[in-house]
Amino acid sequence: MVQLNRQYDRANGSGEPIHVKVVGVGGAGSNILDRVMLDGIEAADLVAINTDVQSLTASVAAHKVQLGRNLTRGLGSGGDPELGYAAAEEATDEVRSVLQGGTVIFLCAGLGGGTGSGAAPLVAQIAKEENALVLAFAAVPFSFEGRRRCAQAEESLLRLRAVCDAVVCFDNDRMAEITLPRMGIHEAFAAADLTVSQSIRSVASLMQRPGLLHIGFDDVCAVLRNGDARALFGYGEADGENRAHDALAKALKNPLMNRGALLEDTFHAIVHICGGANVTLGEVQIIMEELNRHINDQTQLFMGIGIETRMGNRLSVSILSSLGNGAEKPVAQRHQRTIYPVEPAPQPDIKPEPWKPAAIPIPLLRPPSEGEAVPTECAPVRAAEELMLPRSESEPQKPAQVRPAAKAEPKPQSAAAKKAEAKQETLQFEPISRGRFEKSEPTIIDGQDLDVPTFLRRNVRIR
Amino acid sequence: MARDNIFVGLEIGTSKICAVVAEARNDGTLKVVGVGSVPARGVRKGEIVDFETAKRCVHDAIVDAEEKSDVEISEVYLGITGSHIRSFNNRGVVVLEEGREEIDEQDLDDVRTNAREVSLPMEDCILHTIIQHYYVDGQDGVLNPVGLLGKKLEADFHIVYGIRTRIQNAIRCVKELELEPADVIINSFATAQAILEKNQKQLGAIVIDIGGGTTDFVVYVDGAVKQSGVLAIGGDHITNDISIGLKIPSARAEKLKVEEGNVTLGTAFPGETILLKDETGFAGRELERESLNQITHERLREALDIVKRQIEADQNLHYVGAGVFITGGCSQIRGLEHLASDIFGMPVTMAHALPMAGVTSAFENPQFSTALGLVKYAHLVQMDRPISGGLIRNAFQKIKGIFRN
Repeated sequence: MVQLNRQYDRANGSGEPIHVKVVGVGGAGSNILDRVMLDGIEAADLVAINTDVQSLTASVAAHKVQLGRNLTRGLGSGGDPELGYAAAEEATDEVRSVLQGGTVIFLCAGLGGGTGSGAAPLVAQIAKEENALVLAFAAVPFSFEGRRRCAQAEESLLRLRAVCDAVVCFDNDRMAEITLPRMGIHEAFAAADLTVSQSIRSVASLMQRPGLLHIGFDDVCAVLRNGDARALFGYGEADGENRAHDALAKALKNPLMNRGALLEDTFHAIVHICGGANVTLGEVQIIMEELNRHINDQTQLFMGIGIETRMGNRLSVSILSSLGNGAEKPVAQRHQRTIYPVEPAPQPDIKPEPWKPAAIPIPLLRPPSEGEAVPTECAPVRAAEELMLPRSESEPQKPAQVRPAAKAEPKPQSAAAKKAEAKQETLQFEPISRGRFEKSEPTIIDGQDLDVPTFLRRNVRIR
Repeated sequence: MARDNIFVGLEIGTSKICAVVAEARNDGTLKVVGVGSVPARGVRKGEIVDFETAKRCVHDAIVDAEEKSDVEISEVYLGITGSHIRSFNNRGVVVLEEGREEIDEQDLDDVRTNAREVSLPMEDCILHTIIQHYYVDGQDGVLNPVGLLGKKLEADFHIVYGIRTRIQNAIRCVKELELEPADVIINSFATAQAILEKNQKQLGAIVIDIGGGTTDFVVYVDGAVKQSGVLAIGGDHITNDISIGLKIPSARAEKLKVEEGNVTLGTAFPGETILLKDETGFAGRELERESLNQITHERLREALDIVKRQIEADQNLHYVGAGVFITGGCSQIRGLEHLASDIFGMPVTMAHALPMAGVTSAFENPQFSTALGLVKYAHLVQMDRPISGGLIRNAFQKIKGIFRN
């Protein structure tokens, strides 16, 4: 399972430093960029790319590129990806010059709007042409933002997938679970930004940090490339006696992880453990053993261990994975590819297709009713909707073409819903903890350590 | 004030250390003149784990009590608890020598000594030898055999023992503060003195004192102590469970337990939440009420189940007529009465100390049951000593020599 002798062509092998550039495209992109900046990232250039001058001025990024100087004249792209694409085309040279020299480029964008959806694929394309490894972090809109935005986001996502080495997709709906429903929309978006920022930072640092067991870009790509729609990401840091436990527990607590329950559906996962010089084998063992309970037997774990004196007594655990693969995966991909004639291979010399208005499906006024044949034009909308739905993505999706009528459709959906329900019922793993009695004499009666909370010993589920 | 009339009970508890000063009045009643109490630190599960810190707290509690009662404290009755304390029942037998038929006090001492002759581990020492019943030539129901004629004197005793060094920690803590421990009493026994009336002891009663770090219990049948025990589970465990289960800091969990704690399941509306306010200005958190109840319920049900199992192991619950008396700080958790009566299947009373003259607030609070019991015990011993030489109440005779270090 643990890859010890992998060859790292870029990340590690040559020993030359990795130039990381974090590029935020569009309004949401620069928000995420600000977050990354605020949280602090080492040795990385931050580049903000936007059509909206106001937003660009407010950005804290060191490098800024304005798109569509003549086309939009400093205004936004008005939610029109076509305009966003055209604006980016106009500034190709500027973008190229700012991306030059980057070995690894993290592209972050909020999809669904104009600049993010339209320009991000082109920026990714340029980055690819500059011979960089491109990893895109895309946030797809909340389902309540409307079908049109979702459809735009979905199309843009496919374009990104076509050019990037890997795309990590963050479902805003899921990320919103971090916040309470009654909290402001602003906070919900901020929480989403924070999650994206955390994952950018941790992926960047796990590739940059020298490691005992190193994780390279190829590992990251292997894990993320198969990703269908959603990234799983968790980061936890802890110190103290029980730091291995605690750090993992925190990492699994991330809503994108659903407490580790979603890990079960993945086929690849990266675990990166980082700590000071005093990381022990026992701690690594604890983390890996506990993690192994969350994953299935087929999951390939890439384990990385980094030793950094900067960490002091703290220990951090990052988990990165993506949902949807294996048996379900090829079906889903075929389905998407047949609808969108986008070249799937990540080859640098392929230009993404310019946006055509016809490519964006007109939002449906009413959903296709029972028994009505689904027209092919509607399929993208449905596909987008399905992706937005907060349910298990591992459900095998049938290609739209082979659905003669919607009749057969409800079955797999209800099965998936059931599966999701059943999953919630299963007992979550909680590390056994004695809390404040950690150091006191145990109270053991009838072979039970009574200092461990009763509800844990009796497996009573606490919400 | 004559010094003999003043009794001070000191309880070194897990959550608080308190000293109760009481005055014996001429009519034979006891008046509480002052209660000193400070939150305890350095005590876990009823035992001192940080000597210096605990000593400071004991000092503060004594000073507090002195200020409130205007009495200079020099001697205390010390309550002891801890998971190391165990007990068993044993019978002593004395056969009178040829030619003598009248049982005298020496025989009572001999039968007690005989009962104590059991092999205990080296590190253990006996804390109490409590008389249950005398038998003279097989005749039971003898209250005081002195003066009776007989050939064979038998007596059942309840013997309480614990690890010597761990008992001495508390004693040393008191001695280093220039206080003389007049006597050392296990908490459960003291508590029973405070909350049980004589007829309840006769009917049979179970006293459960759920404190911060331990649950102490004692069983009375036919007016005698049949069983006692200490379970190292208390309010701290509930707090810890809440803290782990709801993922909130301990201090918040403690507050939540006191303010919202309830052990009745199914009383919360589905989805009913408790808003946890945050003093630091961050957004508060909402917790599901049912989760809190569930955690508390599981812990207390388990603790009471264990107590019940331990009692049932050598005692038929049918002999307990007066029911279960629950006291201690944790008895204030809502719904505990119903939970306990569900478990024990008999009437359950949430008890506090029986009324005495003086500071009323003290005995209305179940947290002070043990400390009040200590002074009550001291008073009983004192009253019996000059009159009967402590014959019937030999139960309370103490063996101080053991603890002289």
